[in-house]
Amino acid sequence: MAALAAPFRAAANEAGKSDDPKDHAKEIIFEHLGDAYGWEVPFDHHHRIPLPCIVLPKEGGVCVFSSARVQHGEYMCDKGMFKIATEAEAEQYHVRAGKLVQVIEGPDGSVEYYRPWWFDFSITKNVAALIISCLLVGGLMLWLARWHRRKGLKAPRKGLGAIEALVDFIYKGVIVSTLGENAKRFAPYLLTAFFFIFGMNLLGLVVIFPGGANLTGNIAVTLVMAVLTFAVTNIFGTKEYWKEIFWPDVPLFLKFPLPIMPVIEVFGMFTKPAALTVRLMANMMGGHMIVIVLTLLIFIFYYMSPVAGGATTVVSVIFSVFMLLIDVLVSFIQAYVFTMLSTIFISLAQVKEHHAAPAAECDPADADCQQMSAEELERMRRTQRVHEQELHAARKEALKKKGETAN
Amino acid sequence: MELFTPDFGLIFWMFVCFGILFLILWKYAWPMIIKGMETRADLIDKGVEYAQNAKEQLDNAHLEAGKITAEARKQQAEILREADKMKNQIVEEARGEAQKAAQKVMDQANEAIRQQQKEAEQALRDQVSEFALQIANKVVKQQLADDKAQAKLVSSLLDEMDQKN
Repeated sequence: MAALAAPFRAAANEAGKSDDPKDHAKEIIFEHLGDAYGWEVPFDHHHRIPLPCIVLPKEGGVCVFSSARVQHGEYMCDKGMFKIATEAEAEQYHVRAGKLVQVIEGPDGSVEYYRPWWFDFSITKNVAALIISCLLVGGLMLWLARWHRRKGLKAPRKGLGAIEALVDFIYKGVIVSTLGENAKRFAPYLLTAFFFIFGMNLLGLVVIFPGGANLTGNIAVTLVMAVLTFAVTNIFGTKEYWKEIFWPDVPLFLKFPLPIMPVIEVFGMFTKPAALTVRLMANMMGGHMIVIVLTLLIFIFYYMSPVAGGATTVVSVIFSVFMLLIDVLVSFIQAYVFTMLSTIFISLAQVKEHHAAPAAECDPADADCQQMSAEELERMRRTQRVHEQELHAARKEALKKKGETAN
Repeated sequence: MELFTPDFGLIFWMFVCFGILFLILWKYAWPMIIKGMETRADLIDKGVEYAQNAKEQLDNAHLEAGKITAEARKQQAEILREADKMKNQIVEEARGEAQKAAQKVMDQANEAIRQQQKEAEQALRDQVSEFALQIANKVVKQQLADDKAQAKLVSSLLDEMDQKN
């Protein structure tokens, strides 16, 4: 809380604004939810862990410098001058506040803030957290894989056992049960997605350094995950899946002169990843926001009266701890839900051609239908034959075994 | 809305990081982990099945052993009964045989006695007839002499016969 108190005073002193925390609440909340060019250190608002800034200046080439250089002002590199745009400047020059910009002064003294969408590749707090999550998840999974390579069939215990149980839970409970025989094909992506999201979620709940970044509550991250699911779904979609989108099994007037159903289906293709994106982001951001707001309440009430502040402290801390515990659950649930929905979307795109209705529903005059049902019958017979063969083989095996035991 | 505007930099790094993580795990982690878990699960399943089979077989063996014992007991009883029956039969047969043999011996003895009797009768008859002939002979001889002598002879002959008998 002392760590949080500092920014109020600092912000107040810098801007010369009022000391009332209510005036800064929104700023602080958004600062914590958003990205930054350095990583906060607990109990110290003036120093941050510097992270590398990578920008592409207008003149071409790349500029790399430490974020500590732009934290309090401008930095001049050989290709240009860079700074973090303040709110006032952002409004004036139509750039986003709190982001790096290149300041270009024209020969006539005019100033241009240069920041196209491809400008900034900095390792920001979120990118650093992303890398840490990757290392963590990758390390844990390689550790588990190494156990399997080295120890063979011995079951891991303790931490590794828990990770394996989780892998098994997702693989068997979600992937295999939904995708069936296709499970092996899509399991690497889905498992990676689950553990990546889960790792990022949990790291986000850790308040100090390697954690604290609101990574899965950032729309860029969830958008990429959803786009990947979208890509996997559609790249590996079967012919039948595309047929169902563009020529679904509905009365002709719904698809012929006006392609109503195809339009709805195509729209559905895009709403699925959009829902994935927003669901994960909103849930994780909401968790972070609630904890920050509860903490801010303490300062707001302290400003009003110390007694109210004292009472709020107790309530807020209890609620914060409760919310953080809920967030641990939510971290898992959201990762699980994302994986499960991705699996379902992928499995929906793996549709096989389904055959016509059973023979009883066939119109005797409908030769096509009857032919289909004959095909169906043939297929069933074939399956039955295979089953019988299997049964026969099993019986033989059993007899053989019996004979062996008798001997 | 700042929160809903994705940063291109973060998107880029996200693609890079996730891509690298995915490739590494795809190549070096997931296949081993999944295969390991499945192999282990199979092994455990097989173990359980084996144990169940073994237990079943053991139970069957107990049952079988009991059945075999009961069968053996039954056979034993039957054999004993059979032996007893055979013994009785043999004894009975022997007894019959002995009786038959004794009967035969007795019959033979009787026959011999009858034979001897017959022979003795025959001999007696022969002797009597011989005596009669001799007497008759002497009587005839005496008759030729005188009547007194004849009578004397007859009485002497009769005396003789008395003496003999």
